[in-house]
Amino acid sequence: MSLAKLFSVSSRVRATGASSLVLRHAQYSTPSDGGKTEMVYPPNLPGYKYVNAEDPNMSMKEMSNRAAQTLFWTELARGFAVTLAHIFKEPATINYPFEKGPLSPRFRGEHALRRYPSGEERCIACKLCEAICPAQAITIEAEERKDGSRRTTRYDIDMTKCIYCGFCQEACPVDAIVEGPNFEFSTETHEELLYNKEKLLSNGDKWESEIATNIRADHLYR
Amino acid sequence: MSLAKFLALDKLANFFTIIRQNGGIRGSLYKLYRQDELKDGKLVGEDKYGNKYYENPRFFYGRNRWVEYSDKVNMNYDGSQVPAEWFGWLHYKTDLPPHQDPSRPKYKWMADFTENLSGTTGQYVPYSTTRPKVEPWDPKSKSA
Ligand code: SF4
Ligand code: SF4
Repeated sequence: MSLAKLFSVSSRVRATGASSLVLRHAQYSTPSDGGKTEMVYPPNLPGYKYVNAEDPNMSMKEMSNRAAQTLFWTELARGFAVTLAHIFKEPATINYPFEKGPLSPRFRGEHALRRYPSGEERCIACKLCEAICPAQAITIEAEERKDGSRRTTRYDIDMTKCIYCGFCQEACPVDAIVEGPNFEFSTETHEELLYNKEKLLSNGDKWESEIATNIRADHLYR
Repeated sequence: MSLAKFLALDKLANFFTIIRQNGGIRGSLYKLYRQDELKDGKLVGEDKYGNKYYENPRFFYGRNRWVEYSDKVNMNYDGSQVPAEWFGWLHYKTDLPPHQDPSRPKYKWMADFTENLSGTTGQYVPYSTTRPKVEPWDPKSKSA
């Protein structure tokens, strides 16, 4: 037994002492009993990983190695090496706005009012979206149009009240109001986010290609 | 591991490919200044506003598709300049770029794409689309 081991108060040394006691005791009772094996801690089992701090190895070689590392500041050199390596590594972040993260077809972004392929607006002023909106962000007024169809004269969404829950597009019977894929509609003033019907319709005209593709991508699940 | 790979010669080859694809040293420096990053990739397509779309599966998912904004906008590029047709491809919703996707609708009422115009003269200003329910009394029009 080395000098270091004698003077160290590590638990393993104490455990060795204790186990010899157990062994001696075992010899008096049943020497062939398999249950009285030496208990080592941490247990040396396959699939068992000891995650706590281990006691340092106290052999003379290891101790002088540790002392040399402290003396020569090798941590500094190794730290700089890690830093240097990371300069050449592929970064883990994406370079927005050139690269963009993945989005789902169900993504709920900026609202839009859609049209039928003929160009007729879909909304029939049933006000279901206004009724279901938990943030009460939608305001609708309706009138009869000249051709006798029921249409909205006012369709306002306060985008700063909206919580983007998507209930309005779920409620709509004709797929008129949808939450499009666009999330890059931040503005410099508050008033620009108080959308009216014209703005929503023009959003729909701009984004129809993507909105229709998203709805088709998701049609099997709804 | 081959010797070339051990000596990181493939990385060196990539480096020279990247410089060559981005237009030599001057071109590469300009792109680095404008886009903060130099990458090599396959040109997948170009939209009608001049933005170019690239792909290179060597980079990890999320970085393997990117857009180079049109030279017309110079340093005033913005995330909202990606038109709706290319939005899905750039956001990994579909692997089909718009010119290979026949099912994308093209109606004549579909509007031209505009970027987010907030803070410019083209910005959206809200207005009421209905007549006010309470109209103020205008004495002049009565005397006239
Ligand atoms: S997404 Fe939700 S909160 Fe926003 S307008 Fe629709 S229903 Fe209202
Ligand atoms: S958008 Fe849909 S739910 Fe809302 S009023 Fe129009 S038709 Fe009804």
